[in-house]
Formats: sequence, structure tokens, C-alpha cells
Amino acid sequence: ASLSASNFDLRTYWTTLIGEINQKLDEAIPVKYPAGIYEAMRYSVLAQGAKRASPVMCVAACELLGGDRLAAFPTACALEMVHGASLIHDDLPCMDDDPVRRGKPSNHTVYGADMAILAGDALFPLGFQHIVSHTPPHLVPPPTLLRVVAEIARTVGSTGMAAGQYVDLEGGPFPASFAQEKKFGAMGECSAVCGGLLGGATEDELEVLRRYGRAVGMLYQVVDDMRDDEEKTKKKKKNYAAFFGAERATEMAEELKEKAKKELHVFDKYGGDAVAPLYSFVDYAAHRHFLLNI
Amino acid sequence: KSSSSSSFSSFDFMSYIIRKAESVNKALDSAVPLREPLKIHEAMRYSLLAGGKRVRPVLCIAACELVGGEETQAMPAACAVEMIHTMSLIHDDLPCMDNDDLRRGKPTNHKVYGEDVAVLAGDALLSFAFEHLASATSSEVSPVRVVRAVGELAKAIGSEGLVAGQVVDISSEGLDLNDVGLEHLEYIHLHKTAALLEASAVLGGIVGGGSDDEIERLRKFARCIGLLFQVVDDILDVTKSSQELGKTAGKDLIADKLTYPKIMGLEKSREFAEKLNREAREQLLGFDSDKVAPLLALASYIANRQN
Repeated sequence: ASLSASNFDLRTYWTTLIGEINQKLDEAIPVKYPAGIYEAMRYSVLAQGAKRASPVMCVAACELLGGDRLAAFPTACALEMVHGASLIHDDLPCMDDDPVRRGKPSNHTVYGADMAILAGDALFPLGFQHIVSHTPPHLVPPPTLLRVVAEIARTVGSTGMAAGQYVDLEGGPFPASFAQEKKFGAMGECSAVCGGLLGGATEDELEVLRRYGRAVGMLYQVVDDMRDDEEKTKKKKKNYAAFFGAERATEMAEELKEKAKKELHVFDKYGGDAVAPLYSFVDYAAHRHFLLNI
Repeated sequence: KSSSSSSFSSFDFMSYIIRKAESVNKALDSAVPLREPLKIHEAMRYSLLAGGKRVRPVLCIAACELVGGEETQAMPAACAVEMIHTMSLIHDDLPCMDNDDLRRGKPTNHKVYGEDVAVLAGDALLSFAFEHLASATSSEVSPVRVVRAVGELAKAIGSEGLVAGQVVDISSEGLDLNDVGLEHLEYIHLHKTAALLEASAVLGGIVGGGSDDEIERLRKFARCIGLLFQVVDDILDVTKSSQELGKTAGKDLIADKLTYPKIMGLEKSREFAEKLNREAREQLLGFDSDKVAPLLALASYIANRQN
């Protein structure tokens, strides 16, 4: 672990933030008429035990640059909504046909495929609506909000996560890592960049956060793939460990970890405490050295 | 008769809508280029560029011009509402939803590209609508206004808008007419049909620089013509033959769908249509008579169409 992370208690930082984010998500999706759709949306977004990695990274990047975390919370929640929407659609019978997500029946298993489609279709716009209606105007200028909206939209769209899911399902002339990079790297990249935008990062800093977030997002997934049991590995068509073998996957994890940390060096000037959350994020993605009790 | 209705008579609506639809088609074609992964982008373009009357984007542009804006200011918003409309049709046609094989005489998206790609193409069009609105709108439009437009569009299509209408519609199938009333039917149409028309007009008003009062009048106008569209549709279904409609007449009766004639009778439905048309026109009083012509003509077109 790096020196700067030694005094930093990631577990407290993370669990405190998760509590706040869960509360804000709960408030953001109240049950109204017609209740069925709100229940389906809440079922996936407020699932117990969610680690909220994207929202936490977004807040951490914003705070690193001296931004107020209140500026980042609405976008942090939006990331979870659009990510939730993507996962609901990925699980559908006509897609991955996954009856289970995080140990619970997937959305369509509980609410039916029609409601699952609509719950996803409602969560995407709710994310954008939440950003523009809840971000404190005195903390974030309108042009920045528009960049955040465009960044998230591009990330989930036809050249981002939707492209990753497509290649995962149908293959094509793409490198083996394409689907993983698009599906997991893209979300990490987007979370870090949005936090940076909201914290007032320079263009150079945004590029660093982009590379950092991408590396951490992929690292998280490579390690997940290695930890998956054999049974699950067989089901997934593109799995680092299954595709490259355990040895190569371990090497890739090490490379991604080094790359992510190297990127962060430019931020050391902001002080150890400011950059510690982002360093410790890398260690967590690589080693899962504590278990979150939530 | 007011001066605005005399300018309507001299206004050639068909050539107006054709001209505007052409610029919208051009803008849509270049907004969604073919790139990797090719199949998703082909699927997006297949449905987006399949024709259609482009009523929503034309309404958006006409609303922008009504409050003094230029077509170029409204074009990204106009494209965004059409992307959303297309996306909702693609998802609506899926086997787990309405299960339709044909749309405008062509095989539906999932018939050509498969269900998985159809879901993804819809999702991609949804998110691209926001990306396009947020990043392609002219710098002449203040970012505060674009932010407001993003919020309006999002609200209109989510669980308070389009999706709410679809959910209530799905859960109404097979319900007894005595159990649901006019309010229920109106809820479905206001959300399923009127919400996106409303957003189209409101977005045009916002990016065109309209005042709050002007934007609210455009909102009411679009809600009225949205509902009007549905009432007229229901009336045509019972009064016209399949040949005249170009689709199966009486389909709503057979499918046991809720319609205005079924709930309030044919005569009352016609009166209601007239009332909506009148209310829509009232919202436009006081605007410049030349600029208001396209919107008045649109209302008449919707009220008087025969198929």
C-alpha cells in the first residue's frame, strides 16, 4: 500500500458515504402512482449490499479537487440509476437471460420482462433529471452540468456500455478485452471524470482521471473474474480469468494497479489526505482487504 | 374570424411540414453516423430514418420560431425528441411488450436485428438524445436554457411521463369499462401521447428564448393537440373502413381497448374534439399572426385528418 493511504481509513470513508448515498437514492425514487414502476425501479437501485463504487469514486474525485461533496451527490446518484438501468436490461431473457443478480432474483424475474424494460427506460432519464434538478446552482455552473450529462449519456450509449454488451452477446471483430473495457472501464472512467468536472478540474486533470478511472474499473472486474467460482465463470462468455488464464489475469491486475496509482502522482501536490481515497480505491479493487458490512 | 385564421387559409401547411421534415431528416442522418459496432448503429438508423411525419420535431422547430428563435437553435432538441419517440416505438414493439412484427409497413426493429440489439438500440437512442441535446445545441442558446431543456425532456419520458402512460396502459388490459372512467383514459393518453408532444413544444420554446408565459402557453397548446390526436384516432377507428384508414378498422373494439367513443359515445367524442381544438387555438392568441400559422395549421391537420 502506498504511504499516503496509511493514515486513511477507507472503510469509514466508504461506509459513511454509502449511507448518505443510499438515503439520497431512497428519497430520489419515492413510490407514486403508478406504484408498480416505482417499486421495480427501487428494487434494483436500492438493492441491499450494493457497494456504490461509482458514486463513491465520483464524490472522491470531486473532493480531491477541492469541490464540495454536495456538488457531486446528485451526479453520484445518477450514476447508480443509469448503471442500474443497464444491469436490468442486461439481465433480460433476450440478453444474458440471468434470473439472479447479486444473489437476488433479477428485476424481470420479479416484475416481468415488460416492466423490467420500462423500469430501465425510466431510470435513464431519472438520472439526468436528478442531476439538473438537484445540483446546487451556486456550486456548479450550467456549462459544467451539460458536460456531465453528455459524459454520462456517452458512457451508457452506443459507443460505451451498450457497445460492450453488444460485443459480449454477439462478438465481432473486436479484441477480447473490448467488452470488459466498455462495460466496466467505461463506468469507472465516467465516475472519476464526472467527479473531476464537478470539482472544477482542468482539462489535463480530467484526462488523468479518465485513465485512472478506466484502469480502476477494469481492475475491479479482473479481480472479480478471478474470484468467481468455476460455475459462474463458465456462464460468462468473456471473463479475463477464463479467457487469458489465471496467470495472465493476475499479471493484468498487477499492471492495471500500477497504472492507476501512477496516474495519481500528479495529484500528490494536493496533499496526502486529499488523494488518499483515490489511492485506497485502487488497493481495494485489487485486494478487497476489508469487507463492507452494509 | 381572427386575423390568425385568415393567415392560416393562405398558409401552405403541407409544403411547410415537408420542408421542415427534410431538414430534420438531414440532421438526424448526420447526428447518428454509422460507426463501430456497426450493427447497433445500423439498428438505430433503421428505425430513426424510417420516415414518419416528424410531427414532434416540426412542432419543436415551429415553437422555437414562434417565440423568435431560429431553426438551427431548435434542431438538436428537435432531433432529440424524435430519437426518444423512435426509441419508445422500438421497445413498444418487442415481443414482451406489444409484440408487433410490422411498423409503418416494414419489419419491426427486433424482427430485423434481434431482440437483444433492439433493446440496446433503444437504450442507445435514449441516451444519445440527451448527449445530443446537451452537447450539440448552438452556443447562441444559453447553457441555463439547455439545462432546463434537459430536465423537461427527462421528466416527459420517464416514470412521470411516457413510461407512466405505458405502465397504466399495460395494466388496464381487460379491465371492465365500469371500473375505469374517463379520467383513467385521459391519464394514459396525456402520458403516452401528449407528454412527448408537450416536451417537443416546450423545448422549442425554451431554446428559442421564449418567456415563461410563452412556454406555458406552448405547453397547454401541445397537451390539447396531443389529446386531440387520440380522440380523433378513436373516432376514426369506429367511423372509417379499413380501406380508408390504411389499417384495420374497428381494431380497438376487437382488442377491447378503452376508447373515447366507448366511454362517452360518438357524439360527445366529437364535441370533445372540437373543445380541445378550440382550447389549443386559444393558447396562441396574441402571438405574431405569421409565426403562429404553422401551429394553427398543425392543430387543424390533427383535428380534420381522415385517416
